[in-house]
Amino acid sequence: MKKLIVIALLIPIAFMLMDCGGKPKAKMNDIPEWYLNPPMAEDAIYEAGDAAKQSMGLAKEAADARARDAVSRTIEVKVSNMLKNFMQESGIGADAEALEFTSSVSKQVSNNVLNGARIVKREMKTEGAMYHAYSLAEYNLNSLIQETVDAAKKQKALYNEAKANLSFDDLEKEIQKLDAVGK
Amino acid sequence: MRRAFSLMQTRLLLSTLFLFGAVAFSQTIIPEWFEELPKSPAGTQFAVGYSGKYVDRSLAREAAASLAISNMAKQRETRLVFELEEFADGRFRLMNPSFELSYDETTILNVLDNYTVIDSSITNDGYFVLIAFPKIETRIRFSSNDKEWGERPIWTKKLPAAKHYNFGVGIVSNYSSWVRAWKDADEYARFDLGKNIKIEARSIHTTKRDNQYIIESKIIHQSFDEKIANSEIVSRWYDTKNDVYYSLCRQLR
Repeated sequence: MKKLIVIALLIPIAFMLMDCGGKPKAKMNDIPEWYLNPPMAEDAIYEAGDAAKQSMGLAKEAADARARDAVSRTIEVKVSNMLKNFMQESGIGADAEALEFTSSVSKQVSNNVLNGARIVKREMKTEGAMYHAYSLAEYNLNSLIQETVDAAKKQKALYNEAKANLSFDDLEKEIQKLDAVGK
Repeated sequence: MRRAFSLMQTRLLLSTLFLFGAVAFSQTIIPEWFEELPKSPAGTQFAVGYSGKYVDRSLAREAAASLAISNMAKQRETRLVFELEEFADGRFRLMNPSFELSYDETTILNVLDNYTVIDSSITNDGYFVLIAFPKIETRIRFSSNDKEWGERPIWTKKLPAAKHYNFGVGIVSNYSSWVRAWKDADEYARFDLGKNIKIEARSIHTTKRDNQYIIESKIIHQSFDEKIANSEIVSRWYDTKNDVYYSLCRQLR
């Protein structure tokens, strides 16, 4: 009976010790080449994202989101930077001890509507009990150009419509004036 | 008392075994059109329905047909609302994706009024139905028999590129029921297609550096709310070795 209790106590301890090594790291051979060196093209932006989660679905969602976020940040990033330097000196003469303290804060903000930002490559690896998803997002710059052209066309259409409405309003005013004279 | 207990134990064991038999854990044999959706005649669409094992075969057929009808309705037009938020501040990381799928009642009523079962199949794992909408009068014959899963298709790793189509891939794993797994893989593939078409991406990343630490914080928010029409699940693949389900969704641009 005592042996059983000892074994029952040892098993969870053994599991805890096994788990003490921290999160398993991805083997370098397992990491897709396109994640380390995303392709480069003149007419497209490629950005990679990855995530390690216990659920495969979540890992995929997170990796996809991070890859698209990287694309979004590449297209338009508003960056603000702040750097602070502090220098302190304590002690006397040659025994004085200089202490330099540098602190910096950077902030990146992006806000974009991505039309046609596709996840073109995906790999799923297992690391212990975790799923590690790697995603490669592709954003065709032609779609960005087309979008800009469409926006310009829309603006032009709005302008023409406003112009047409204005003329119609003017005409209506003229008719009203004529009506008033007739009375 | 002891006899009653052992009787209860036997019943429990039998019912557990029955449940294990009824709920299919994985899937080995499938009709060919479940793996690759056949090309439909002009003006019609195909959709697949499936169900697990039922003691009553007619119930299995009913469940599979019902799923095929709702799949057809989603295929014709569905509204997808997706939202994902990720927060990380160096100490903790939170991610919350949400998926909402809805379709019009009239769409499903239209399908119900005007569909035909083109083919059906019973395997060791369940029941499969292929339906067509609108009704086809001429009988289509499929020469192939039920088969095992083939080799890993390329689209599971690399999204197909075609000028006239949009694509999306759904991936799920660790499901106790293959029916549930395929339902989810199909839905995720549709959402993936939606994300590939259009998504609003907003984020704030901050990095604080000092002599000792680098603390990175971020907020990522991505969302879309779109109506997707004519999206079909054209391919499925089950990775029998790793228990992973893949669905490929395609939409004509």
